Amino acid sequence: MDILQALGQGFASAITLPHLAWALAGVTLGTAVGVLPGIGPALTVALLLPVTFNLEPTSAFIMFAGIYSGAMYGGSTTSILLNTPGESASIVTAIDGHMMARQGRGASALTTAAIGSFVAGTLATLALTFFAPVLASFALRFGPAEYFALTVLAFTTVSVLLGTSAVRGLFSLFLGLALGLIGIDQLTGEARLSFGIPQLLDGIDVVILVIGLFAVGETLYQAWRHGRDEVEVVTLHDFTGMSREDWKRSWKPWLRGTAIGFPLGVLPCGGAVIPTFLSYMVEKRLSDHPEQFGHGAIEGVAGPEAANNAAAAGVLVPLLTLGLPSSATAAIMLAAFQQYGLQPGPLLFSSRPDLVWTLIASLYIGNAMLLVLNLPLAGVWARVMLVPRRLLFGVIMVLASLGAYSLNRSVLDLVLLYVVGAVGCAMRVRDIPLVPAVIGLILGPLSEQQFRRAVAISEGDVSVFLTRPISAALLFLALTVLVAPRLLERLIRRRTQAG
Amino acid sequence: MTHLAAAPRVLAALILGAAPAVAQPAYQHLRIIAPAAPGGGWDQTARVMQQVLQRARLVHTASVENISGAAGTIGLARFIGAERGQGDVVMVSGLIMVSAIVTNGSPVTLREVTPIARLTGEYEVIVVPAASPFRSLQDLIRTFKERPESISWGGGSAGGSDQILAGLVADAVGVPPRRVNYIAFSGGGEAMSAILGGQVSVGINGLAEFAPQIEAGTVRVLGLSSAERLPSLEAPTLREQGVDVEFENWRSLVAPPGISQGDLARVENTAEAMVRSAEWREALERYRWIDRYLAGEEFDRFMEAEDARVRSVLTKLGLGPGNTAPLATARAYPLLVLAGLLFFGGAALLAAIRTRGASNRPPSGPGWRPAALMATGVALDLALMERAGFVITSAALFWLTARTFDQRHPARDALFAVGVSTGSYLLFVRVLNVTLPAGLLARWL
Repeated sequence: MDILQALGQGFASAITLPHLAWALAGVTLGTAVGVLPGIGPALTVALLLPVTFNLEPTSAFIMFAGIYSGAMYGGSTTSILLNTPGESASIVTAIDGHMMARQGRGASALTTAAIGSFVAGTLATLALTFFAPVLASFALRFGPAEYFALTVLAFTTVSVLLGTSAVRGLFSLFLGLALGLIGIDQLTGEARLSFGIPQLLDGIDVVILVIGLFAVGETLYQAWRHGRDEVEVVTLHDFTGMSREDWKRSWKPWLRGTAIGFPLGVLPCGGAVIPTFLSYMVEKRLSDHPEQFGHGAIEGVAGPEAANNAAAAGVLVPLLTLGLPSSATAAIMLAAFQQYGLQPGPLLFSSRPDLVWTLIASLYIGNAMLLVLNLPLAGVWARVMLVPRRLLFGVIMVLASLGAYSLNRSVLDLVLLYVVGAVGCAMRVRDIPLVPAVIGLILGPLSEQQFRRAVAISEGDVSVFLTRPISAALLFLALTVLVAPRLLERLIRRRTQAG
Repeated sequence: MTHLAAAPRVLAALILGAAPAVAQPAYQHLRIIAPAAPGGGWDQTARVMQQVLQRARLVHTASVENISGAAGTIGLARFIGAERGQGDVVMVSGLIMVSAIVTNGSPVTLREVTPIARLTGEYEVIVVPAASPFRSLQDLIRTFKERPESISWGGGSAGGSDQILAGLVADAVGVPPRRVNYIAFSGGGEAMSAILGGQVSVGINGLAEFAPQIEAGTVRVLGLSSAERLPSLEAPTLREQGVDVEFENWRSLVAPPGISQGDLARVENTAEAMVRSAEWREALERYRWIDRYLAGEEFDRFMEAEDARVRSVLTKLGLGPGNTAPLATARAYPLLVLAGLLFFGGAALLAAIRTRGASNRPPSGPGWRPAALMATGVALDLALMERAGFVITSAALFWLTARTFDQRHPARDALFAVGVSTGSYLLFVRVLNVTLPAGLLARWL
């Protein structure tokens, strides 16, 4: 087979001792920088790209694949250990991952994240290897109407994240939606709710909201609670990683996460965030013990972590086959290709197959390296939970302010960070769930824009959402997700009553 | 959205061994500000400059810092405010900034900076997907004149070069520019996939971005915005097909306001040496940019003419869509969201009042002490970050946060505080090249 032969050649050029060393360096650097809060994968790749400029193309691409995989993985570590997601794709990981860490099961959470990332990364790279062109042409059939329907489906995730009260959960969601309104409207250029402050014209950065709500909010809340009630003491239960039970509960979420993440990563719509939401919802719905979700269910880490890594590989499909960058990270990779005289576009595979296949082979290697690197580290990282709380929170505050300030070198971002932090603390006190607000901020603008684009293209005809088959199917699926569990419940109740 | 410096010099040097010494470059270190996120045209220009300047030994090292937001006007405001009088920093600018200053009502304008030179230009193309029924520009214009709104024009951000060209074309064929059904997409990739997938009728974008698709035959060029045909592209111009429009998206270089005569001469000479270098020629070819080097008084005059032209087009276009469907305007959705927020906020408040005490509030008395300590830390962070510098401010924040939780080890915590803040400063500034304020300790760091 052509593909196997080409891939074989790719591996042949990638597996030499110096090249493996570059791969290891890339993975290590990518993970190390990706761990820092506020520095997501796009920024990590941009920061580390110049390091590869002076290498010959093959080494550069190998290191590059390592950086890419490492940056994707790095965000989950702080998410699990410190409840401080490094970027938006690992917000969902924080929900159950951090609960696990507080129960002393941090090593299990990190291990399931690492293996899940490896499984998802490898399977997705396989799919990329063999089906890229088919998938890319399918992705082109998604227009604004389909993307709108997809965001509607993603919104249904909120239903499993509402917490103890639907009203408070929806309040949180609408808070996020309202924050999402701030800034210049993408379609018309009008400024909305920016109160004449130029820095608000670009809206509220998701990073600020995430770090503010989670990291700063958590610190303020713990400070406020301090000395009033029992301080929970973390004792580590597992230094070695996952138990047999953990494995049993993780492997299906890994596969399902991959199945959700990869195809959605292929679609040019904001990369890896939506798949993590959907994966979390699917896992909770399919679980035998949904009540554990939010209190340290390992499925809630395994699924989303697999999903975001699979999506990261999916992003490469339109990039390599069509020359379309569908995420910020992909746009930076595109710039990197040009450094080596690679013209990104539909002819990339035929113009420089050697480099493209080396890159793909390097992705396999990078994924394997990540696993080798992170499995032994999981137990070490988990000990972070044993660091005295005063020092841990000190570090969190310093890193949070550093992350927010370095976004734009603006004190206004710091002000926003602390305001959001105070809001996050108040929400914790009043038992208002945080994640719906983040979902609102991310999905709200996406959803609104796609809706308006679709309606503008159809000259005001709203029926496009139902006449286009993919859009109609997605909307139907969203309706099913919302209605089916309640119908089933009622059915079961009736049957038990009758029986 | 991001701010970063792109050459982790120390990291590169650690890995690759230090670069050989250079004979007297004009700059020891030149900072290039890209007023946009990584990946776009300004960022590319800045990064190409960084490479060319370093390779041609015109500077010892150069770094790129991204200050993105509001089509470059945030970067511009920052540049004018924070870099005034600085001789070793430049910023990339261009047509889109001229337009954004008008549409965003920017409080700062390009008149306040020191213009250096126009560097590059990029033509725009109007394309349709290969399967489109429109075979020629005439086909398109005929339908466009009959039912303007039935043609959806997909391109980059609102008020940017793509929308300006769409407006110019409409104006030239006698359709009011307000009736252009322009669909703005946020990134090159997003617009391109909508065009390739036939989601919009026509695509409008920079030639460089479309070139690979044109070569592969996935899109068909209906018109090119240059005055004459290009040797590298077999496609008719707009003008030769009776649409009297000529347009290009240019990019330029500016220096901060208030720099000395010496600094001005140095940056002008460096820019000129750069555009004459072989490395720059090579880069122009690679990115399909046109050499549009123009400096001195001619550049000043050009800027004034361009400012007037952009203003007049934007006025004709009007802000916001003209005759688009009511549901597609920017007004409906915010009302819905704010109503929802009020409703659920009110409901949650009512529920909270009704079930008083059921929250997570612990029973014991108020803890003013931790609150005061945290508040002091936060206030110091906000007030002193840019004055005293990152290291001092962060050490204070760390120490106060730690004391909030446990007051038994003030001395040990102070040591930790200094360690953590110095460590993270060095990591970010020295290794990752992210600029942080050095403040009072500038001399020792």
